[in-house]
Amino acid sequence: MDLNLWVSGVVYGLSMGSIFFLLAAGLSLCFGLMRIISLDQLLYYSLGAYVAYQVNVSTGLTWPAMVAGALAAGVLSWVVERWVFYRIYAREITFTMITSFGVLVAGVGAIKYVWGLVPRPMGIPVEAQVAVLGVNIPLYRLIVIAIAAAVYGAIQWLLNRTIVGTAIRAAVEDVDQVEGLGVDVYRLFTGTFVGAGVLSGLAGALHGPLVMVDPQMGLEVVPFVFMVVIIGGLGSLKGTLVSAFLVGQVVSLGSLVYAPLAQMAPFAAMLLILLWRPTGLYGSTLLRR
Amino acid sequence: MTGHDGALVVEDLHVAYGEAQVLFDVHLTVPAGSLAACVGRNGAGKTTLLRTIAGFLRPRAGRVRYGEVDLVGRRPYEVARMGIRYVQQDKRVFADLTVRENLRLASYATGDWDWDVVFRYFPRLKGLLDRKGGYLSGGERQMLMIGRALLGRPKVLLVDEPTEGLAPAVVEQLGQVFEELKGHTTMLLVEQNLPLVSRVADVVYAVKEGRVVAEITDREAIRSGGVEAYL
Amino acid sequence: MKGRVRWWAGILVPFAALALGRWVLPLPFLVEVLIFSVYTMACNFLLGRVGFISFGQPAYLAAGAYGTAFYLYYFGRDPLLGILAGLVSGTVFAAAVGLVFVRLRSDYFALVNLALAVIVYHVMQKVLAPITKGDNGLWFLDRMRATPWVDLTRPEGFVWFAWLVAVAVWALYKYLDDTVFGACCLATKTNEDKVKFLGYHDFKVRWTAFTLANATAALAGSLYGVYFGFVSPEMASAARAADPVVVTILGGTGTLYGPLVGSLAYVGMKDLVSGVVGNWEFFVGLLLVVIMLAGERGIWGTLEPWFRRRWAWRRATPALQE
Repeated sequence: MDLNLWVSGVVYGLSMGSIFFLLAAGLSLCFGLMRIISLDQLLYYSLGAYVAYQVNVSTGLTWPAMVAGALAAGVLSWVVERWVFYRIYAREITFTMITSFGVLVAGVGAIKYVWGLVPRPMGIPVEAQVAVLGVNIPLYRLIVIAIAAAVYGAIQWLLNRTIVGTAIRAAVEDVDQVEGLGVDVYRLFTGTFVGAGVLSGLAGALHGPLVMVDPQMGLEVVPFVFMVVIIGGLGSLKGTLVSAFLVGQVVSLGSLVYAPLAQMAPFAAMLLILLWRPTGLYGSTLLRR
Repeated sequence: MTGHDGALVVEDLHVAYGEAQVLFDVHLTVPAGSLAACVGRNGAGKTTLLRTIAGFLRPRAGRVRYGEVDLVGRRPYEVARMGIRYVQQDKRVFADLTVRENLRLASYATGDWDWDVVFRYFPRLKGLLDRKGGYLSGGERQMLMIGRALLGRPKVLLVDEPTEGLAPAVVEQLGQVFEELKGHTTMLLVEQNLPLVSRVADVVYAVKEGRVVAEITDREAIRSGGVEAYL
Repeated sequence: MKGRVRWWAGILVPFAALALGRWVLPLPFLVEVLIFSVYTMACNFLLGRVGFISFGQPAYLAAGAYGTAFYLYYFGRDPLLGILAGLVSGTVFAAAVGLVFVRLRSDYFALVNLALAVIVYHVMQKVLAPITKGDNGLWFLDRMRATPWVDLTRPEGFVWFAWLVAVAVWALYKYLDDTVFGACCLATKTNEDKVKFLGYHDFKVRWTAFTLANATAALAGSLYGVYFGFVSPEMASAARAADPVVVTILGGTGTLYGPLVGSLAYVGMKDLVSGVVGNWEFFVGLLLVVIMLAGERGIWGTLEPWFRRRWAWRRATPALQE
């Protein structure tokens, strides 16, 4: 295979991985801190894409549309957190998972109602191509990768250099102990949940121009994101980053090798990894079955 | 430093985990500025009592008051912010956070950034500021726990088995700390270490199978080791 | 002897009541309820007895449906054999998948099952399109030959067959409840380690339960296949993954009649509300959230203790409900 294909394959994989990372990071953080599997993050992802699409179509703006998408997703996630999750944090994990799934299904239904079933194309903010190792690569994909890297850096900075981050790291270990010190952990939860929602919305908005915006997009991305989360292990940010890029590469390079199986390859990889380590590569055994 | 806001009072307390009742009709009074000890075997319900007072458990019936203020139904962080601090058993500090970060978190929660009070009682912590909680010895962790709880000038300390598994020298040190804290801090101490209890307690409650079976307010009796008889 | 009669009465009475509905309710409604309750029973068993939450039931439904479809489209004409083919393919699929899935912790299990459903959908729609005809689906209504006694190719005949299958499924699960296996399943739900200490092979128990449950889901898929004479990837759509879960909880998780009651309520609601509410999916999701917030005991879960007090039924094991 020639260099052209390899380089564009790798970049494609990295940009896919970036989207997966943004989505999976939210899921992972919500789990680590609040012990919930927030399946509704997939809804915020879809909403981010749709709102970005809508703003783009109505105003012609591109980057502001992305911001709008992320913010809209944040707002929705805030509403859901206050109305639904706030009441059920104490419940066991399958309970919250089922409830979040209900939110996801309801939200996707609402999206179908508002925007219909037909996939919509979304304008790409940057059309230019850049030469990387002599190969022409869409600049947009490189920007997406840069954004994901920046987000990772920002989250690490937050966790390690700010007092809020200290509180979050502590709460991931022992929420009751943090609360016993006098910290309002519920505000921490809300903040993290909304943060995850914004990230998911951003992922959707960024992904929009690369694929078409359609109601099923939240579910279509499920196998990949879940694979990332499971391989990387819920609750580990670094694990999420590593496995996001891993999955991205497997999908991308796999599709170069044999297209129809591209979607299956990460799934097979995940099954193999789970056979070896049922909690994922970096995952914690915090939860028993 | 005023801590004489009132007594910690527990009345008619019934606590259950689901269907299983653990505490039955518990009455307890800790006069302001004094140290009450709660003794009893494992599983008697002592930790449950502390957790209920701290707000982590909701009682089935009964009242918990601090002075005139009702504590039942409040969230744990609200209770902590009122100045009633719970020091858990098992020497639990945040393993992944340094001593400094542990203290910073407590300061952030209480707004009290003056760590002098912590170092006055536990000078050893000063040298351990950059060590992660997971790398501290049992005694050091206990010191950190209590040190953290002292930030914000708490009025009440609920301390759960602090000397468990500690070397006698450290126990001695902790005993001294409790003596010094008495007077301006009200303390409810759950302990199995009877010599320590004999030394520092003003009131002793013996708990057996979820009930208070004895209340010893005679200091003479406590100091002379009379507590043993009740267990 | 009396115990036996009572045992069977426990199943036949509600189903007889349902059968009477044949003359009151529309036929398609009754068939839908029967098949859907079989489908839901799988989810109910997994969630209520073994403690697995699966958002991937459509995958197993499709495995059965497509097994039937392949047989009836490419090979034979006998609907009964078609159903058998679907059941076998579903069982094999579930058994194979179960080997890995069953070891996972409950949250990973749910995620992985949902991923499976999406992948099965994708495979049936695109990857295997040459043999599945993609979104156009496989039509075999005309190919099917009429069966003697009860003609499965006609709705009037099919409804009785579906009824018989449902009764058989109920009898099976009720029987399981009373066996050691059933008790083991319930035990693994609460405490895996204890089950191992007691000498039961924890993994085997769960794997068998998983395979059995999803074979039941596949059976439902086969029934759908023969009833409609048509199978398409839409059956595996992950958007429908919420349905069996909603119905399980709506009916009452872990109860024997929960799936039946839940299906009646759900299909009934769907028929009544679909016309009014613009978007059924939205409603399903909302319903799920509301049920969970309201208490998750479900209709039968709430009614059953009342019934039990009135009739004082005997039970083999106190922990298991009817």
